[in-house]
This record gives sequence, structure tokens and C-alpha cells, in this order.
Amino acid sequence: MDEQIGKEVIVTENLKKTYHDNGIPVYAVRGVDLTITRGEFTAIMGPSGSGKTTLLNLISGLDTPTEGKVWLNSKLVSEMTGNELSDFRRDNIGFIFQAYNLIPVLTVEENVEYIMLLQGVPPEERHKRVLKILEEVGLVEMIDRKPPQLSGGQQQRVAVARAMVAKPAIILADEPTANLDSETSGELLDMMRKLNESTGMTFLFSSHDPIVIQRARRVITLTDGKISNDKIKR
Amino acid sequence: MLYIKLAWRNIFRNKRRTIIAGLAIGMGLAALIFTDAFIIGEERNMIYSATSTFAGEAQIFRVGYRETQESELTINNYKSIVENLQSEPIVDKFTSRVSVFGTVSAPANMAGVQIFGIEPETEREMSILDEAIIEGEYFADDNMRNILIGKKLAEILEVGLGDRIVLTVSQAESGDLIQELFKVSGIFDFGERAMNSAAAFIRIEKARDMLAIGETAHIISIKFINPELSKNNRLPFWDKYSKNGNKAVSWTELFPQLVSIFEFAFVAKLFISIILMGVVVFVILNTLFMSLYERMFEFGILRAIGTRPLGVAKLILLEAGALSVISIVFGSVIVLIVNLILMKVGVDITGTEMVGVAIREKIYPVLRVSQFTINPLGVLLFTVIVGIYPALYAAKLNPAKAIRKSL
Repeated sequence: MDEQIGKEVIVTENLKKTYHDNGIPVYAVRGVDLTITRGEFTAIMGPSGSGKTTLLNLISGLDTPTEGKVWLNSKLVSEMTGNELSDFRRDNIGFIFQAYNLIPVLTVEENVEYIMLLQGVPPEERHKRVLKILEEVGLVEMIDRKPPQLSGGQQQRVAVARAMVAKPAIILADEPTANLDSETSGELLDMMRKLNESTGMTFLFSSHDPIVIQRARRVITLTDGKISNDKIKR
Repeated sequence: MLYIKLAWRNIFRNKRRTIIAGLAIGMGLAALIFTDAFIIGEERNMIYSATSTFAGEAQIFRVGYRETQESELTINNYKSIVENLQSEPIVDKFTSRVSVFGTVSAPANMAGVQIFGIEPETEREMSILDEAIIEGEYFADDNMRNILIGKKLAEILEVGLGDRIVLTVSQAESGDLIQELFKVSGIFDFGERAMNSAAAFIRIEKARDMLAIGETAHIISIKFINPELSKNNRLPFWDKYSKNGNKAVSWTELFPQLVSIFEFAFVAKLFISIILMGVVVFVILNTLFMSLYERMFEFGILRAIGTRPLGVAKLILLEAGALSVISIVFGSVIVLIVNLILMKVGVDITGTEMVGVAIREKIYPVLRVSQFTINPLGVLLFTVIVGIYPALYAAKLNPAKAIRKSL
């Protein structure tokens, strides 16, 4: 498998995850083989309970697989633990979640620079990069505001800025438009696609929102924990 | 710095909860500091009451005298001791006393008493006898037949000012009984049952004469320039005057019951500390876990974006520390206000008697810098230690589960 990894950002091999709910096994992911290459703008779609979020969690190392392997940026994530895994996520993955994504007591600037603080980036460099990314997401004037003072769409833009500022290998977005109206969702997705095109950064979404599916260049359909369709748009 | 900022802001997210938790811990700290301040004030008061009433801060007497009270056991080398005491730099005042058991009889009744022969002028400096006179006068003239008796003894004997009473004692060497007639020139109220009902004071010259002991005394009562000196067991003074069959002792030996009660007070303080720590444990655990469960999603996010488990633990510990700092401020302000008021007005339990010592003055709490440094530091340290449990819990959170739980 190692030889196969080149410009692939994500490779999963027979990935499985089984939960136990009151002793009853729940097969959330059932043998997923997936490859995502650099610069993709891909959505994993499927109905609720199809295993989209679980798959994203396994890819990012937030959860451990029952079976199978995950390589991210040529590193075997599925076998990492503790600080190694935390540091790997910090340096290689940008996250965007549904809502309440940001730390409410920190300002926009502090939220965005958080990861760089963990990375030990010097203050001047941090400030420069925060300004640049906030400019790109159109929120530079909101730099001193705290999340509760922002609209849902603005909060998600800050989340995008935070995810991208440390220049990770991939952005994982779990239902990023779930709490947004369709207009704001469209704007957010357009902005992310623009950033994808301008930076070449890889985006992987999990969503059942048609707005996301519509804008994705590749759509993977997950049904009952298995890939049932994988379509690249031309 | 980031974690400190984050912890400090987090603690103020739920202001009401933080204030309630801070007040609970703060009140505990205030109780601890107040108890300490009050106990110090009470100790000082009791020591002052015990030593200034009559006993003095130290005494010199012949070895065996305190146990037997035999009148022939007078101080050896009395004159040279008195001369030395006069030039002793740490001695402020002293007075000599002759003391013997005898009987006092009046037409209506008779009673056993301890008769003290005193030097009126130096005694005035050493004890509160002159202030305790409630009727008559304190050795106003040189009349050798004047006697001061306690309020209760006057009632027993059914005598008043100017009445005549007879003292009977046995002479030191011969054991012969000798009787002398005295006139009641003053009645005192020491506030102590024993002194009021079984003590009488005459001039020392008359007492020496009755006992035929020559120019000596049974007790020399001493006050130091600094009362704290009397607590110092290693003071050379004790060895210097514990020679030639005499013994010099501090009030700690004269009133061992006081030392015991102070030890008991220390134990009480310890119990209050334990109760405070119990309060801290429950308040901190409750507050931190409530906050942790409320922010489960946030901890999941923090872990997801690369915060190490130790970073999350550090954040919780800092939140515990921040809560502790708030509690310390609350507690210190509360206790400072209460103590400053009580330091002005005092706590009035005068007239009560504890382990044979009558409380003669109001108790004023004593504040010390250590109460506002050691106790708060203890609370801070303990709070952080207690915070380790929720901190470890947060550190071990599975980020995926934490995020899922909150959605």
C-alpha cells in the first residue's frame, strides 16, 4: 500500500467501525476503501446514519477504527495515539463542524490564531497570517468580535479561516451548512470553493445538503457504511 | 498565557455559578482566618487575664513550695535574687509575696483561706488587686492590721468594711499557732470564685512577722518587658534563677490548663480546616464537572484541532485556580471587614471563667499577614489538587464522543 501513496492525501483500506449500543453491535462503517488526492473538493453524501461523520472521524484520527487503516499525507493515522496524534491533527488537518465551532470566549483573531499558538508561530507572523486569511473570508473588520456577536454564516467563515490558517494538508468539514440558511450556505460554499481553487488545499465534506453536493467536484455516496457510488463531475 | 486567558474568561461565562461557588469557598476561608484571628485574640486575652490578675508572667519560689505550700519553704538567697532582678534587663516589674494557709474567723462564721502578704506598692504594678477593690480602700495607710478580703468571703463571714476578723496561722519553723486581729479595710472582686471566696491580703511585713520567717518571701512574681519572652523555654532567665534550691517558671507551667486549652483550640482550627477542605472538594468538583459537561463539545473541538490531552487538563486546572483566586478575594474581603469591625468593638464575654481564668476584657481578633498568605495559598493549592480529577477526566475525553454527546 505504501507504494500507492503519492499525491494522495487520504487513503483508507478496508476501514471498519463497529459501535456497541447497549451491547448491540452497530456497523457504522463497513469496509471503506477510499482515496482522496491533493486539491480535491469532495463531498461524502448519504442519509442520516449512513456513517458519514464516523468516516470523517476515522480519517482524522478523532476515532479509532475497529479494522482497517488510514493514511493521511502518507502517515498511518490509524495507529497514532496521544500527543503524536494531537500534533498530527494540529499540523495536517483543518476542521469545520456544524455549529458552535468556535471558542465563544475568544475573539475572532484569537480563535483563528489558536492553532498557530499551539504550533509556536511567533506573534508577528501569527497576526500577519490571521489578517490575510480574515481578508480572504471577508471578516477582517470583525477581528475583535467574539463568536456570539457574529451571525451563523460569519461564524462558519471564521471556522474556515481557523481551519485554513495553519495551511493543513486537508480541510474536513462535517455538515458545515447544517445550521445555515440556503443563501448563506451557498455563499459559504462558493467562498470555500474559491479558496480551494486559489490555494489548492483539499476539502472533504460530509453532508446531505444539496447546496454542498451541487458545488462538490466529486460526490461519494455512502449507504449503510459502504460506498455505494463515487462520481466525479466533469 | 493562552490557557490562562481562556481559563479566566471561561470562569466568568456563568457568572452566577462562579459567584456562588466563590462565595462558598470564600466563606470557608473566611471562617478559617476568623477562627485563627479569634483564637489568637482569645489566647492573648486569657494569658493576659491569667498573668495580670495576680500570678504574673513568671514566678520564682523554693523547690517543692508549689506542691506542698509549706510555709518554711521560703526563697533561698532572697535578697541577692531581688538585687539581681532589679538589674535584669528583660524584667519589667516584680513583687514579693508571702503565702500561707490559715483560718479566718468572725463572730458569725469561720473559713479556711490562703493569706497573702504583699508589698502594696509593687503589687499595684503587678496585679489588678487595687482595681478589684469594690468597697473600701487598697492599703490606704500604713496600718499593719488592715486586711483585704474577697466579696464571697465577706458574705460567708458576714462581715463588712471596718469589721474585725481574726487570722490564725501556724509559724514556719515551730508550727506554733499564732492569732492576730485585723480590720477589714477593703473588699475585692476578682471575678474568680477561688480568689473571691478563699483569699485575703495583708501587708508582707505583718505576714513575715506572723510566720517568723525573717526578710524573705515564698513567691516573687515577675513581668517581662515583652510578654512573649515568658513563652520562650530556652530563655537563660529560667536557668539563672533556678539555682540554690529555687525554681523559676513561666506561666505555661503555672497554668498548664491554659496550654491544654490552646492545644485544644489548635485541634479545633484543624477541624475547621478539614471542613473547609471538604467544602472545597465538593464545590470545585461540582463546578468544574458542571462546566465540563456544558462545554463537552468545546473540549471535543479543542482536542480535534490539535490541543494535546495535557493542554486540556492544564486548562481545567487553571480554571480551578481562577475559581480559587476569586474565592480567596471574596473570603479575604469578608474576613477583613468582619475582623476590622470586631477589632474595634471586640467580642464581649467578660465575666465568664474558663479553666479557672476569668475573662476580664473583651476579646479582639488578631490579624496576621500569615493568615492572608498561608491560608489562601493552602486553598489555592488544595483547589488545584482537587481539580486534577476533572482535569484528567477532560484529558481522557475521546474527541469524537465529546463532539457527538453535545450535538
